[in-house]
Amino acid sequence: MVALRFLRALSLVRCSGPGARSPSYRARGIRRAAYACMAASAGPRRAWSRALLRKIRRRPGRGLRRPRAVIRRRRPVGGGDPLEVALRRLVPGGGCMEYCRLLEEAADYVKCLAMQVRLMQTIVDSASHVNSID
Amino acid sequence: MRGQKKTRRGEKDKLERARFVRKHSRAKAAFLTEAGRLKVGEYLERASSLSGFWVGALEWGKRSEVEDKVIILFLFLGQSKDKSFTVAVSEDPLPRLETSIDMNENKFVLNSHHDGGEWQFNTPAMSMVPLLPNAPSLAGGLMNQITRSSYLSTPMVEVFSPGQWNHHPTSSPNMALGESNFASTSSINSIPVGKPVAISPRGMLVSTEPRIFPTSLPHFPVDSAFVERAARFSCFGSGNFSGINFFGSSPAMAPSNNEGIGDQVQKDELLQVDHESFNGSTMKNQGDQNSQIGNGESRVVIFPEDGLEGNTGSTDAALNSSSSDRGVNKRRKTVPDIERDPVQGGRQSSSETTKENIENKQKVEQINSKQTEKNGKDNSEFVKEGYVHVRARRGQATNSHSLAERVRREKISERMKYLQELVPGCSKVTGKAVMLDEIINYVQSLQRQVEVSIMFLSMKLAAVNPQLDFGIEGLLAKNLLRAHGSSSSATGFSPEMIYPQAYPSQHNLVHTGISAMASHSDTFRRAISTQSTASGYKESPLQVQPMHIPWNEELITQMAYGANPSNPQNMDSKADDFAI
Repeated sequence: MVALRFLRALSLVRCSGPGARSPSYRARGIRRAAYACMAASAGPRRAWSRALLRKIRRRPGRGLRRPRAVIRRRRPVGGGDPLEVALRRLVPGGGCMEYCRLLEEAADYVKCLAMQVRLMQTIVDSASHVNSID
Repeated sequence: MRGQKKTRRGEKDKLERARFVRKHSRAKAAFLTEAGRLKVGEYLERASSLSGFWVGALEWGKRSEVEDKVIILFLFLGQSKDKSFTVAVSEDPLPRLETSIDMNENKFVLNSHHDGGEWQFNTPAMSMVPLLPNAPSLAGGLMNQITRSSYLSTPMVEVFSPGQWNHHPTSSPNMALGESNFASTSSINSIPVGKPVAISPRGMLVSTEPRIFPTSLPHFPVDSAFVERAARFSCFGSGNFSGINFFGSSPAMAPSNNEGIGDQVQKDELLQVDHESFNGSTMKNQGDQNSQIGNGESRVVIFPEDGLEGNTGSTDAALNSSSSDRGVNKRRKTVPDIERDPVQGGRQSSSETTKENIENKQKVEQINSKQTEKNGKDNSEFVKEGYVHVRARRGQATNSHSLAERVRREKISERMKYLQELVPGCSKVTGKAVMLDEIINYVQSLQRQVEVSIMFLSMKLAAVNPQLDFGIEGLLAKNLLRAHGSSSSATGFSPEMIYPQAYPSQHNLVHTGISAMASHSDTFRRAISTQSTASGYKESPLQVQPMHIPWNEELITQMAYGANPSNPQNMDSKADDFAI
């Protein structure tokens, strides 16, 4: 599921590649594609996937905020435990959740992230392998 | 859902109703007050005006498609004699409520077939809504009764009599809603379905002809008083039923009399359907609880109102394990207390199955703690949407605060255990702090690996030969399209699949891959949506999502495409090479 989306996105990124963009630009595009695919395949029911997509879609310099924005910051963080704070920073959308929810979202995020890493490594391996065959 | 397929009016209708219910679900709590009884009526009225009130189907133990439906559960609490109760609901406002219990699978399913027609009910308290002769809805009767406020002390039993649904005369005395109880119904395959009955003593003329229930079930006589009481304790909810408990007592149910509609036998039963027990525990659990019921407690089940969003997390088996929650039950309300407060109509004791919805548990906990703060004793308790049923263990503090905290702590530890399984090499780590540290390190390392792979890929993409992964994609496309009909293969899709076929570096494959993408995007979408539905992530319009994040297939392409605004120019249109 993730693989298909990611490959499609990659191909799109790649299609403009020969247009001599800078590698960092390309890397940014790939990064966006990777996180977007991950979030999309996780489903909209996950808080982290929604937050991740929101982060991706938010273009710098977009001033207009939609009036019907999702309610943020329902429960501000207590901020006592440094570990908890660190986890909140790591998990997308982790600032607004309660601790229980944070753990749950972190679990799902870890799962999807691991899958994404495996996928990308497989692609990289196949790429280098294909190249080496020639 | 197990059992019969529900007929629907249509997706649109469903969506409309779901939206309506969602919109109004917040007002639920307001209904549950003494003063709010009228509001219930208004709510019902409005709901009925929407051509039907959503009563949802229950399904235990698994997230079903009815998540977004409103489920109305009416509990009728018997008195201290314990017992009996409720029921359920039909999915469509009207008629033909089918309920079936599958004991073997510990599933309690209530279905209603859509009968068509509007749902209406009469109540003198409210403005008149004409009843359809054909389809009195169970829920309609319920609503009707809900608006009544009188409180009777005689225990009541609500019974569903499937056979009566068909041709129920309007003069029939009672509205019956009933639920068979589990413990006794090991042999019963279906829940008796109640029939709407007009309650003459109260002047409530409710029903018209009930619908037929195909299952033959023992039906229990209904008493109007019971109905009244039931109305008192009913609540509306939405979302799936994973948080619902029914209470019933077997012995009371067993002797039930298959009496006619007109019979009014005072019997009250508490039906307990323990969600846990449905989900794998045996019936002995119910036996226990039944015996507990014997001491006069009645518990009302409420399901979380925002169950619409809930249950996504329920796919995580570890998180949903009921074993850790098994012993946690908190008594919420006793029946005698209910009796003592006849005037406090609308208040309900609620108990939720300990099998909690992950999404709802937060709310439940909050509400729980809020409520416990409010109520010093268990006397009056408001029903809010979700409710955690916690029982104080032996030798532990029974303070409401500490109970709620204990629940919370258990939830946290449950999730930590799940995380421990996810993170490799953390099986012997003990302690929350160390575990958290490991988790954080793991997430950071994963993110670093993603970055490294991205850089590597960008370098590779800069390379001239484009053959590497697009051939893969073409093959993937082929596989998907071949497997389009069978979703099972689609779910087996994994990153490893791309690997074995990754070697073709022929141009035609590349071109076919690319052209496949271009020209067969529809099939791709279909395949992907097949996959997505198979994998359980619903991308149907009924799911709850923020509006400004479109979750269709265009999303990803937009994402990636946005970074590279130039149009793809080397998309070949050698579609003729592509052979599926």
